[in-house]
Amino acid sequence: MVTPLAFEFSSRIVTPVVSGAINGAVYGLLGLGIVLLYKGNRIFNFAQAEFGAVAAFACYAGLTGFGFIPKVPYPIAAIFGVAVAVLVALGTERLVIRPLFSQPKVTLVVATAGVALLIIAATGFLFGAEGVTLDPVFQGPAFTSGGLRVTKQGLVIVFVLIVLALASALFFSRTRTGTAILAVSMEPTATSLVGISVNKISALTWGFAGLLGGVAGILFAGNSGVLGPGVLTALALIPAFTAAVFGGITSLPGAFLGGVVIGVVQALGARNIPESVVPSANQVVVFLILLTVLLVRPAGLLGKET
Amino acid sequence: MTLTAPAPEAATTGSAPDEGGHGKAGRDFGPIRWLPRAVVYLLLAIWLLVLIPGSEVYAPFAADAVIYAIVALSLNIIIGYTGQLSLGHQGFFGIGAFAAAYSLTVRGVPFALTFVIAILVAAGFALLLGIAALRITGLYLALITLVFGLTLEGSLFEVQEFTNSGAGQPADRPEFLFDDGRFYLFCLAFLAVAFYLDWRLTKSKTGRALLALKENERVAEAFGINVTTFKLLAFVLSGGLAGLAGALYAYRVGNVVGSDFGFFLALTFVLMTVVGGLGNRIGVILGGTLFAVLDYLLEGPLNFLERGFVTGGSALGFNVNNLEQYDVAFIGALGLLLTLVFNPGGIAQQNKPFFDWLAGKRFSLHGDKDSGPASVEGSSVRA
Repeated sequence: MVTPLAFEFSSRIVTPVVSGAINGAVYGLLGLGIVLLYKGNRIFNFAQAEFGAVAAFACYAGLTGFGFIPKVPYPIAAIFGVAVAVLVALGTERLVIRPLFSQPKVTLVVATAGVALLIIAATGFLFGAEGVTLDPVFQGPAFTSGGLRVTKQGLVIVFVLIVLALASALFFSRTRTGTAILAVSMEPTATSLVGISVNKISALTWGFAGLLGGVAGILFAGNSGVLGPGVLTALALIPAFTAAVFGGITSLPGAFLGGVVIGVVQALGARNIPESVVPSANQVVVFLILLTVLLVRPAGLLGKET
Repeated sequence: MTLTAPAPEAATTGSAPDEGGHGKAGRDFGPIRWLPRAVVYLLLAIWLLVLIPGSEVYAPFAADAVIYAIVALSLNIIIGYTGQLSLGHQGFFGIGAFAAAYSLTVRGVPFALTFVIAILVAAGFALLLGIAALRITGLYLALITLVFGLTLEGSLFEVQEFTNSGAGQPADRPEFLFDDGRFYLFCLAFLAVAFYLDWRLTKSKTGRALLALKENERVAEAFGINVTTFKLLAFVLSGGLAGLAGALYAYRVGNVVGSDFGFFLALTFVLMTVVGGLGNRIGVILGGTLFAVLDYLLEGPLNFLERGFVTGGSALGFNVNNLEQYDVAFIGALGLLLTLVFNPGGIAQQNKPFFDWLAGKRFSLHGDKDSGPASVEGSSVRA
């Protein structure tokens, strides 16, 4: 039935494209949060992936009844996880970002990296270095054909990403709060003069970024199975940044598109470049994409501002 | 000696009016003034040059501390002087380590020459990254350096040829350095040279040009500073210095493994430089030292911190038993955030009265806090 050539095509091209697109959707989701904070504060948030890790760990704690946290079914655990991520993001904004608001942006970026490290260490204390396994939202494959296998979790990821990307795009273009966030990012002083609370907007932005990161973290950890301290930062942060930069750092649909592209290219590279030629080809590919975008078109694919 | 030599430091006497009773805020002279300082210097010298090398327990830690201090000086050139953030310095550090170990063990290069190779290779990579940095500035540069370091860790440091098929590249010290105490002194000599060069750099035209780049590139250019050249120079100097530290590290551990140079190390390097006090030579050296020995401190003298964590954790129903791996990261990150929010000048700013006194000035707790060209990062960027 299946000819060798067709099988080869399926395993070398089709499977990586599909699995890459699903992973890429998570990168896009994390990238959305990064873009949001860039729009809001003009900074890169190196703790974005760790917001996701917080959510995933909290979700795991809820699922397994960890410590004083009672054992709860998946939906409640997931909501609990996202809520914890939002709280951590709000805490970051209040305790770290706001006191440093007038400092150079580089200082703020170092601070977010510090937050990331703090979260990695804290999750390491509680859950151990070897990590835990987080179950996917839905078990089992949605459909299989030939060598191709798409899990239900994969479909959920893509669906959630599309919904959240559309919602945030509408939020920024249609609602007063969304435009207020943009206004604060462009000119904080003038914005506060017209009666918009810069502090409230800043907290709102970070809370929303925490929400996006938290959802991404739970989906990613459920999809890949592994969840350890720092794993999300190591695996997903750089592709997410590359996705955000690729799409134009200020463009929400761009981050979505960028994430999928990065995911697909990464999966294709990992499958087709032998380890003996280039070790960790998936990382090298991302580095090359990022470097090329920054050197050739720093505004990105859909970006307008430079 | 340097104790009483009146160096031209006119810029730091800006806050005299509020302490009229003290007289001139210049340097102290006379035996009663310098005797306590001489005693402090003497004790410090005995401790650093005699007691530490003589101790089998402390010498290895001290060597680590010196190596980290060299890295801190290197990172200080990029972050402290030119104001650009590098999150990929562990890459240069690792390149230096692998270059030294590979050339010594596989290629049979003489020991002394391996340092030259390590410095040159790391500086070469820094030049390449610096060329990219010419077009990419600010936050994007931080990102690209981060990815650079991670990519090196995943790819170059995993190449079979360099890593001895994954087992790690051995780097054996020559016989006269087998003793840990002697090796520590060997590292200390390199630190002294690096310190001297860094000091001369900031006093030279080149150093002032680098500082000008941090304040405002366009203004610097208008004053005839070649931005391109000096940026590249900063990267090459910093990369070379990190490569040197990497080579020392290779001989310190004796076996170089790629996974040593991960994201954690990159963050630790940035943390120690910021906590030490950006732009301040002594501060960053102290910061590097602190982070190098933090692991040891947490095992011994600061053990109560860990016990506190464990007790607190079990009170909440958590089983906290992974402290050893993450305590340095946790305390380091906390230290960084506290430093940034409450005390942007870091260790250097906190202990400024003492350092000023050691440098020959009158002891004053409310002296010129924010003076000096680079005492606080970005002190002049609040437009």
